[in-house]
Amino acid sequence: MKTWHAALLVMTLGAILPLSAVAQEPIRVLACEPEWAALAEEIGGNDVIVHSATQGRQDAHHIRARPSLIAKVRLADVLFCSGAELEVGWLPVLMQRGARRIVQPGQPGHIMAADHVEMLDRPEVIDRSLGDIHPDGNPHVHLDPRNIVILADVLASRLERIDPSRSGAYRERLASFQSRWADAMTGWQKRMERLRGMEVIVHHKAWSYLLHWSGLERVASLERVSGIPPTASHLAQVFELARNSGTKAIIRAPFEPVDASDWLFGKTAIPVVELPFTVGAHPEVRDLFSLFDVTLTLLEEIKDRP
Amino acid sequence: MHKIVRFVRATVIGLSVLVIASVVHSQSNPPTTEELAAQISALKQDYESRIAVLEAQLASLKAESLSTETKAVPAVRPSLSNRGNSFNPAIGIVLNGMVSEYSEEQSGIPGFQIGHESERPDEGLSLGHSELTLSSNIDDKFYGNFTLGFGVHAGEPTEVELEEAYIQTLPGAGLPDGLRVKAGRALWTFGYLNELHTHEDDFTDRPLPYRAYLDGAYNDDGMEVSLVLPGNLYGEVGGGIFRGGDTPFAGSRSGREAWSAFARLGGDIGSNSAWRIGGYILDGEARNRSGGAAHAHAEDDGHGHGEEEHEEEEHEEEEHGHDEAGEEGEHGDLAEFLSDGSFTGDSRLYGIDFRYTWAPTGNARDRELILQGEYFWRDESGDYVLQEEHEECTDPNDHSTCEVHMEDITESLSGDSQGWYAQAVYRFLPHWRVGARYSHLSSPDDDAELDDDPYALSTMIDWTNSEFSRIRFQYNRESFNGEDDDQFMLQYIMSIGAHGAHSF
Repeated sequence: MKTWHAALLVMTLGAILPLSAVAQEPIRVLACEPEWAALAEEIGGNDVIVHSATQGRQDAHHIRARPSLIAKVRLADVLFCSGAELEVGWLPVLMQRGARRIVQPGQPGHIMAADHVEMLDRPEVIDRSLGDIHPDGNPHVHLDPRNIVILADVLASRLERIDPSRSGAYRERLASFQSRWADAMTGWQKRMERLRGMEVIVHHKAWSYLLHWSGLERVASLERVSGIPPTASHLAQVFELARNSGTKAIIRAPFEPVDASDWLFGKTAIPVVELPFTVGAHPEVRDLFSLFDVTLTLLEEIKDRP
Repeated sequence: MHKIVRFVRATVIGLSVLVIASVVHSQSNPPTTEELAAQISALKQDYESRIAVLEAQLASLKAESLSTETKAVPAVRPSLSNRGNSFNPAIGIVLNGMVSEYSEEQSGIPGFQIGHESERPDEGLSLGHSELTLSSNIDDKFYGNFTLGFGVHAGEPTEVELEEAYIQTLPGAGLPDGLRVKAGRALWTFGYLNELHTHEDDFTDRPLPYRAYLDGAYNDDGMEVSLVLPGNLYGEVGGGIFRGGDTPFAGSRSGREAWSAFARLGGDIGSNSAWRIGGYILDGEARNRSGGAAHAHAEDDGHGHGEEEHEEEEHEEEEHGHDEAGEEGEHGDLAEFLSDGSFTGDSRLYGIDFRYTWAPTGNARDRELILQGEYFWRDESGDYVLQEEHEECTDPNDHSTCEVHMEDITESLSGDSQGWYAQAVYRFLPHWRVGARYSHLSSPDDDAELDDDPYALSTMIDWTNSEFSRIRFQYNRESFNGEDDDQFMLQYIMSIGAHGAHSF
């Protein structure tokens, strides 16, 4: 009988606790990637508790649906992710298991960045032999700073809807962020003039938005099929391309395997540059501003090499 | 919208003021043409970026207002729902085949009933277990899943089993947050492996306690409720009621003779490792439970593999000397009752499980260590009935007067048995994993006089080309009653179409 009482008590507590947790509690934001966590901190400030499911140097395609993340979804008011199937391997499980209504599709607490911006790399053919393809297009939308502004706005309006009592604070932080971001973009655009047209080889399609915005030229991708390691024959082709072009750099994300890019560096002496990709992936990248600052600095260093 | 227009206007005015001011400024200090050009280009860039920001804001606001205009509730394009085949269910097929070599001709765990699902695969080239899954959200409140398993055993027609056919509430069903209800037939929550389909396992075969206690997995008909508790740690409690028709139960009369309860706890250690532990109870009644017969299979236990076993028994008896067999039968053949008899009585199974994952680099795809273990304790009391052939002759000298009839021999048993396994799997390269597992059973009754407790040691190495294909080599040493069986298995597991996301 005792076990039944304990079970009943636990059940009752479970039903009562969420009710008592409303009112002026901070809004809980679960971001799938650090860039969205950083944006939520900009707009939410002290009124939100932000947690990121992945860390700076983790590949968001492949994490486990850890029990702690089920607990985070269970309490989240806002779920802020890239979408376009980037998190398809783990997020659906978390959403189903956490069973939190406000973060389900169609609810105000459900924000998928890919739903709000223009997508690149939308595949024409969808077939598994092409590797890990995303039928909705490339999900790494945060590397175009123009998309960040759009998402800042979406987030602010969602926060206002979920938590109208602090609507003024969200609006204020949004306005401040927008003005700082516009200033920063002015600076970046100036710096980018010098980089425009610089030829690079990338590891994976993860960099499409950065290239699109910055005007860097992609000569080739080391991964012919995304998500499947480069084959020898493909690498040989990339090597030819690299030799016959003015390629200045091989760009790699912190979570991408090093072997292919190191091999190409060994053959061609084209420098490999590890760009931060997201917040927290580089010691100096602590927010969205420094993400683009550091990225441009690293590219400029390559450009200035003799 | 008015606000935005005002904001845009204000910004444009602001920018114009800026332009005028800079022009005025430049007039007071006559600049060189280079300076002017630089200033103009700086201004131009400033404009461009600000305009880009404003355009982006406008676009998003337009999208927002459109969605709020058409619907009172904000409609957002869901990106994580089923796609490609909008209203058709997601279809997934698992293809599985293997080649295996065994050193022993027969395999059965003495002292335990072994069902069809947990038999050793056929020797040589064989198709393992193929699977077809259809699943979809039914509407805004329910999700449905339908899974057929196709088992192929040598010399028998292909066996189709309805593995799962369940509905489950979606978070939009209006239940309190964290609460889920699942009904139908499903791989219910019990231990770690039970919820998984066998193709998701890290080894080719299930560990001994799963084979002995659950005939692979418990997928009875019934319903289950679970609640994820709010808190920083993951905590979940739940329970279910079931028909009582699947191993370890059988022959349900009332149709609601089994129940379960469970609790789980989990969390992270740092950012690279995670853990989960759980405790489980499964309780019910069995009526005439025998190996392989629990789940309404195409053939009954008297035919097929059952007969082979019978022959072997007789063989063994001869070896031990026929005359003494009758005398010794009381205790010496208790193991035979336990493995070949049919059980009627109460059965309760307790389980605890743990799982720990550690990704040294933070990326589980590069390198990952998984430690996992489960412990089960089975408490059963009831009768084991074994049918034996009995020859009665009216004239002992004339064989033609003899009649053979079956006689039920009953052995009452009340006892417990324990089983456990522990395993480690390590991904040492992105596509390669190695693993080792040890599993052990202790005899359900001391009187069964097994020389040794059954145990199995397994090692495996597998290569995973993509999420959808895996090739595995496994070596097992199974030691049952002192006899060692060396098993070599090479297996492929591939999946076509929709591929469910993996849980922890």
